[in-house]
Amino acid sequence: MSRRSSFRFGSLIAVYAALLLCSVGLLSARGKQSQPRPKSAPAQFDFRAAKTIGSKSAPILLEVFSDFQCPMCRVFFMTTTQQVIKDYVTTNKVYIIHHDFPLDMHAHSKEAARWANAAAEIGKFQEVETALYTTQDKWEATGNIGDVLSTVLSPAELKRVQTLMAKPEVQAAIDQDVELGKQRNINETPSIFVTHNGQMNQIPTRGASYGILKQYFDYLLRN
Amino acid sequence: MADAATLASQTSRVNWLRWFLLAGRVILGAVFIYAAYTKLREPWMLFAFAVNAYQVLPEWAVTIVARGLPWFELTLGLFLILGWKLRWFSSAAAGLLAFFFSLMLYTYIKNPRTDAISCGCFGFGEKLGPLTLARDGALLALALAIVAGAFLMSRRRA
Repeated sequence: MSRRSSFRFGSLIAVYAALLLCSVGLLSARGKQSQPRPKSAPAQFDFRAAKTIGSKSAPILLEVFSDFQCPMCRVFFMTTTQQVIKDYVTTNKVYIIHHDFPLDMHAHSKEAARWANAAAEIGKFQEVETALYTTQDKWEATGNIGDVLSTVLSPAELKRVQTLMAKPEVQAAIDQDVELGKQRNINETPSIFVTHNGQMNQIPTRGASYGILKQYFDYLLRN
Repeated sequence: MADAATLASQTSRVNWLRWFLLAGRVILGAVFIYAAYTKLREPWMLFAFAVNAYQVLPEWAVTIVARGLPWFELTLGLFLILGWKLRWFSSAAAGLLAFFFSLMLYTYIKNPRTDAISCGCFGFGEKLGPLTLARDGALLALALAIVAGAFLMSRRRA
C-alpha cells in the first residue's frame, strides 16, 4: 500500500468516525428530549389568595381579621364591606383580604372557618362567607353549619367541602391567619387594617363606619 | 414683728403658688399641644374613627369634632403656656378634660370589651384602659388645681 493510499484510508476512517460520533450524539439528544419530564410536586393551594375580593393591583388594601360567629364581624360584613365592594372593589380601588381569626369564646367559629377555607378550595369562598354571616343566628344556635350552607352549595359540593375540611392544609391556612393576627397584636374581631403606599394603619373596630371609611379611602386615593 | 413674719409667710406662699402655676400651666399646655400634634400629623379621618368608636355622636358631629378638636387643643395649649387669661383658658382645659374623663370612664364601665375602643387621646391606636384613665384623671386634677390657683391669685391681686 502506497503512502498516498494509506493516507486516503486513514482520512476515510476519520470521516466515518466523526459521522458515527455525530449520529450517536444526535440520537442521545433526541432520546433525552423524548424522555418524559419528571413529575413536579403538586402546587400548594393558595388559601390566602382564594379569600380575597377585587384586583390585587388596587391601590388600597383592606384586611379584615374576622370570626364568623362574631356579631360585630357580621355587622361589619353586612354593612361596611358590602358598601366597599360596591363602591371601591368593583372599580379596582380596593382589594379586600379576609383573614380568619376564630376566637376561643365562640363555640362554632373554628368549624365555620374550616368550612369557609375548604369552600375556598372549590372556589366558593365568597358564597360560603356570605351564607355564614347572613345565617349566623341559625347555626350559632344549632351548631349545624352544613345545613345552612346547603342553600349555597350543591349536594356534591357540600360533600366535597366536607371531605376537604379534614385536610391538614385547611387547618394550617387558618392557623397561618391566626399567627399573622398575633404578630399584629390583635385580640379582637373584626380587626381592620388599611394599607396604602406601603403604610399600614389599624382602624378602631367600633369606629369603622362606612361614611368615615369612605372619606378615608377618598383621601388616600387623592394622595 | 409678728406682722412682718406673717407678711413673709404670705409672700412665700404667693411665690410658691406662682411657681406652681407656671410649672402647671406649661406642663398642661405642652400636653395639649402634643395631643393636638399627634392628631394633626395624620389625616383627620383616623381620629374620626377613634371618636366614632365611643358611639355617642352622630357621624356628622364626629366629623366636626375630628376636624375641630385638635385645633381647639392647640389653641388651649398655646394660651396655657402664654398664661394669658389663665382663669378662663385653664377653666376651658379643665372642662374639656372633665368631659373626656367622664366619657372614657362611662365607656370603660359600660363596655367590657374596651379593647375595641381606641382612647383617641394622643392620636389613635392607643387602647382605652386603666392606664389611660389614670393618666387623664391626673391631668384633670392638675387642670383643676391650676384653675383654683389662677382664681386665688386673681383674688389676691384684687
